[in-house]
Amino acid sequence: MAVADSTPPAEAPPQGPAKGWARRGGALSLGQRFLTLREGSIVVITVIAFVYFAASTNRFLTSGSLKALLPYFAPYAILAAGEVFVMINAEIDLSVGAVYLFTPFIFYKLVVNVGLPLVPAMIGALIVAMLVGLFNGLVVSVVGISSFVTTLGTLFTLSGLTLIISHATQVTTPGTSVVKVGTFAQIFGGGTYSELFWAIGIAIVLQLVLSFTRWGIYTVAVGGNRLGASEAGVRTKVVLTRNFVLCALLAGFVGIMEAVRAATTTPDPSGANVILFQAISAAVIGGTLLQGGSGTVIGAFIGAVFLGILQDGLNLKGVSANYYYFYLGLAILIAMAFNTYVQRVRIGSGRG
Amino acid sequence: MADAAVPLERIVGPTTADDDVLRVEHIKKSFGPISALRDVNLHLRKGEVLGLLGDNGAGKSTLIKILSGFQKQDAGTMWLKGQPYAPKSVLDARAHGIDTVYQDLALIDQLTVYNNLFLRRELVKKPIPFLSNREMRKRARAALEETGIDIPRLDVPVARLSGGQRQAIAVARTISGDADVILLDEPLAAMGAKEGALILDLIARLKKEGRVSIIMILHNYVHVFQACDRVSLIQDGVISLDKPTTETSVDELNDIVVEEYRRARLAAQSGNGASAGAGQAGGTPA
Repeated sequence: MAVADSTPPAEAPPQGPAKGWARRGGALSLGQRFLTLREGSIVVITVIAFVYFAASTNRFLTSGSLKALLPYFAPYAILAAGEVFVMINAEIDLSVGAVYLFTPFIFYKLVVNVGLPLVPAMIGALIVAMLVGLFNGLVVSVVGISSFVTTLGTLFTLSGLTLIISHATQVTTPGTSVVKVGTFAQIFGGGTYSELFWAIGIAIVLQLVLSFTRWGIYTVAVGGNRLGASEAGVRTKVVLTRNFVLCALLAGFVGIMEAVRAATTTPDPSGANVILFQAISAAVIGGTLLQGGSGTVIGAFIGAVFLGILQDGLNLKGVSANYYYFYLGLAILIAMAFNTYVQRVRIGSGRG
Repeated sequence: MADAAVPLERIVGPTTADDDVLRVEHIKKSFGPISALRDVNLHLRKGEVLGLLGDNGAGKSTLIKILSGFQKQDAGTMWLKGQPYAPKSVLDARAHGIDTVYQDLALIDQLTVYNNLFLRRELVKKPIPFLSNREMRKRARAALEETGIDIPRLDVPVARLSGGQRQAIAVARTISGDADVILLDEPLAAMGAKEGALILDLIARLKKEGRVSIIMILHNYVHVFQACDRVSLIQDGVISLDKPTTETSVDELNDIVVEEYRRARLAAQSGNGASAGAGQAGGTPA
């Protein structure tokens, strides 16, 4: 085996080579290692898509077009960031679309019916979103129902609840007006680059959390080997629940921002389901494996950028919307095949 | 049927010594209809290495999991350093000074060697609690050098390592902590002869230092006589032998185990008459 090959018996391990290895290991830090191989494929695919659309349509590289691209990816990037944490846990959250749909109506109710100012109302609505995540997390980790089933239930419950409390009619989002975009709206979705800044900020913070904190280590541990993690003393239930709460919080936040951006809050469950699948697609294309234990927020961010480029590019080329799903499907399949291959190379051919 | 398997006169009752660090009495544990531990009495003296032998399914791992706080016994009491000991969790047990190398090693394939070594005791910076990866890597290197097992790179996922290297990491993780009672569930299982020898050397060194006391599940009798001060045999959820290794022999252990096997076969053959058959077999001196 790889054990001290040329050394006689036990005591002194070979000092020289061991140190050399250690130094080389030191240069390649945890963060870099996470960012090297795994996102390679999606970066390449995204650049190819970008170059293709830039070359084949003359309007793609205009600032107007690039601005139009933003709302196509920023919300997905934020949603996917939360989904990545849950998926690294080897779970899935299907309720993000429903939380996205439900939270802005709570925001609306808190402002219009309760009379709260905008920011406290938003915080209140986000707390409600987190409670949904808490429910999901506890049912999955304590009761032990699979996350697929649990969050499917939450999805329909919340979608129904949204239709009930909204009477299936759209409302004007509080804090927005057709005439002038106020400060609140500027910051939370109404400003042209507001969602972009939030997406970048959230992605950076959560990637740091994932790579460099105990939260991140335990998330990988629980997804990679749940029994082993609990034997080592990791509180797996806490880790799981925390990630579901994070995921729901982000979904609620994006929901409010999108409602502010559109200035209307619309009870549209089927639209919310599209949002859900886009978010999961971004995470999957970005290299997060459903079987858990690996994935990155940055990857999901690039995956979302790819979705945006694809959607905007096809729009500009005047291709029928039907093709969007066709290409999206192909992209997911190619990305998955590539990711699985990369994972095998990374982890070593012997295992997993 | 189960009651008949080990003759009553051989079941080891509660025993104790003045310098016990750990003592368990009348431990029982069932999983549904299956009783894994029926009445286990065990004690561990300070600085001692106790070998735990027994067939698959005899209850060895269950006992380790109860001692390590991973599972709770249905009945029975434990004392640690003279105080009642009822760990609420693995972390609680660790806080009391008991740490474990599990049979499945509890390693996370996707995490690096040093992240695994420091799992659940990560070193973090202040004021923002980012992981101090550099410090952990340095200390991991030192801890592994202590074990004498050479892991060339500490920043690769442990999935890339050999079975023996993984085992070494799991052992190093436990002994580099502050534990004064260490439980090892088959520490030599995945090891080649050379790696196994390294681990046994390490245990011998720990024993010489006298700081820690060790309970070790083993399968190989040679290892038992090589590494342990005392040996306990678990059969069918009870301790059926408890002797210093100097007072027993491979032959005696073998005889007991073979006898157990015969008795079980006899019991299986005679169906419900097992109890009578076992009684007779037990009466014949081994």
